[in-house]
Amino acid sequence: MPRDLTTSLFWLAIAIFASLEGFTNLKLGTLRSPGPGFFPFWGGILLGLFSLVLLARSLRSREEPGFGDIQWRALHVVLGTVLAYLLLLETLGFVTVTFVFLLLLFCFGKTGWIKSGAWSAIATVLIYALFRFWLQVQLPRGLLGL
Amino acid sequence: MDIVQGLLNGFQVAFQPINLFYCFIGVFIGTLVGVLPGLGPAAAVALLLPSTFALSPVSAIIMLSGIYYGSMYGGSTTSILVNIPGEAASVVTCMDGHAMARQGRAGPALGIAAFGSFIAGTLSILILTLVAPLLVKVSLSFGPPEYFSLMVLGTTLLTYFTQGSMLKALMMALVGVLLGSVGVDTISGRYRFTFGIQTLMDGLGLVPVIMGLFGISEVLLNLEQLAHKRMIYAAPTGGLLPNRQEWKRSAMPILRGSLLGFFLGILPGAGAIIASFASYATEKRVSKHPENFGSGAIEGVAGPEAANNAAAGGAFIPLLTLGIPANPVMAILLGALMIHGLQPGPLLMKGAPDLFWGTIVSMYIGNAMLLVLNLPLIGIWTRLLRVPYGVLFPFILLFCLIGSYSVSNNVGDGVVMWVFGILGYLLRKFGYEAAPLILAMVIGPMMEEALRQSLILSAGSFIIFIERPISAGFILAAAILLTLPFLTRRREVERAWTSLPSELSD
Repeated sequence: MPRDLTTSLFWLAIAIFASLEGFTNLKLGTLRSPGPGFFPFWGGILLGLFSLVLLARSLRSREEPGFGDIQWRALHVVLGTVLAYLLLLETLGFVTVTFVFLLLLFCFGKTGWIKSGAWSAIATVLIYALFRFWLQVQLPRGLLGL
Repeated sequence: MDIVQGLLNGFQVAFQPINLFYCFIGVFIGTLVGVLPGLGPAAAVALLLPSTFALSPVSAIIMLSGIYYGSMYGGSTTSILVNIPGEAASVVTCMDGHAMARQGRAGPALGIAAFGSFIAGTLSILILTLVAPLLVKVSLSFGPPEYFSLMVLGTTLLTYFTQGSMLKALMMALVGVLLGSVGVDTISGRYRFTFGIQTLMDGLGLVPVIMGLFGISEVLLNLEQLAHKRMIYAAPTGGLLPNRQEWKRSAMPILRGSLLGFFLGILPGAGAIIASFASYATEKRVSKHPENFGSGAIEGVAGPEAANNAAAGGAFIPLLTLGIPANPVMAILLGALMIHGLQPGPLLMKGAPDLFWGTIVSMYIGNAMLLVLNLPLIGIWTRLLRVPYGVLFPFILLFCLIGSYSVSNNVGDGVVMWVFGILGYLLRKFGYEAAPLILAMVIGPMMEEALRQSLILSAGSFIIFIERPISAGFILAAAILLTLPFLTRRREVERAWTSLPSELSD
């Protein structure tokens, strides 16, 4: 996948969308009193122009695709656990979700199960205390009611 | 006279026990963030922003500032001992700092880095103290046209100093401007780009976006890179105090680095990283023995370390006097000021003198604390370096999660962070930089307001931007910066960026 070619097309699409939205749904207004669509419209136009320049440049110079090595597993684990944390936070509560979250990631980071469990438990308690009592952040109580 | 009064007021505020305490917490965490590779000051300040909601505005800003300039100190420790920069502005310090450490001179390298940082930090706050009130006076006369032109210049500067392609940086700035327009349009009250999603109605939150771009994506990239990296650890040996000859060789580099750093720090986008490179290049150029650079020249540690600390001081200038952030950390501080109900800009000095002067004075104190933290406690920091990344990254993620959630107890903000984490990762992979995006996202709404107000003022004529002399000057400067790359290459900037090993460039 040529990097600049792909991204220039992506930004071009964003630019067209923003300009259209600015032109139609929002109002451009007049120069005397610019409307809510004025800035997004011109921002989109400029972004589109620059994307076209990048597109032209990438077509001319035949770039080599290359991303370095992507560690798909790490990517999936991190993004998956973070999203799961968010989706479960309010139903299961801070303490439960945090403990499981840390446990999974410590294990992924090649710490043994028992050690990970102990670490996660201690860390969860300390972080809970830090945010709940010292910084007075309201955390979802969830199932355990903590 | 104003300055003296202001400073006295500032001393009263900064020496209140509670503020001393938060100043200490700030510089302590800053050092920690600086020492740990893979956690930068932007993510750290964003992480801790929600924890300051319960504090008074002054304490909050004092603490968050402390994290920023504190991280500049800590970064050198990792560079010197492990040859991995603790944060980006300490990349150059690796070259001669680690070379010194391998020759058994880690002590003096750490020592000169700490003293150089202290001297530069203090000098730059001194200049800040003198310059800021003057700039406030000038900027008080700015109307919407001047502000708009200034922000155009700022954004241009930012893209000019960026790593890699200026075209891509300009595109990032425009994407940022579009992202900044998400939410309610303040003038007409209409929703823009919200797609009926509740979380987007108030606009994209700065904290979740920054944590995504600089926290989550950083973890993703580090898991790819740090995994293969072996730490080459050099123990700090010998005394930490540089001898008289080392002092003599370092004095001028520290002075030059301080001045260079301060003024580059003011420019949006230039900041600490460019300043440290510029200082290294300068020292090499003026040295009688440039061949020693790279194999343990103390000038190559003293200059850049002074420069990156001075730049941290300079970066406060545009924020405190104009309300315009020069880098992502300043963008969060801007957000912090607004969350605490303060309007950043030229009126800040008059409207909230306690905060303005208290913060400045706290930086003098913070610098002194950092010197103490960094020299005698060096052993603690080096032990911290042995914590493997596999143990560290779950905590970084967790703090990002708590931080983004607790801004407004909204899971939606967490999802925004998640999305921007992926975006940040992809941007880096596709060769784009996140800094212009984030700054433009913050400046965008201000720019739009200034533009629309100007056009209303001028009854729809763009002449207003070149009619007024100050505004015309800004526009002219921006135009020159934009056309320059077509005529000549941005040689100095490119050289600075290519001189660093690619895997360290993030």
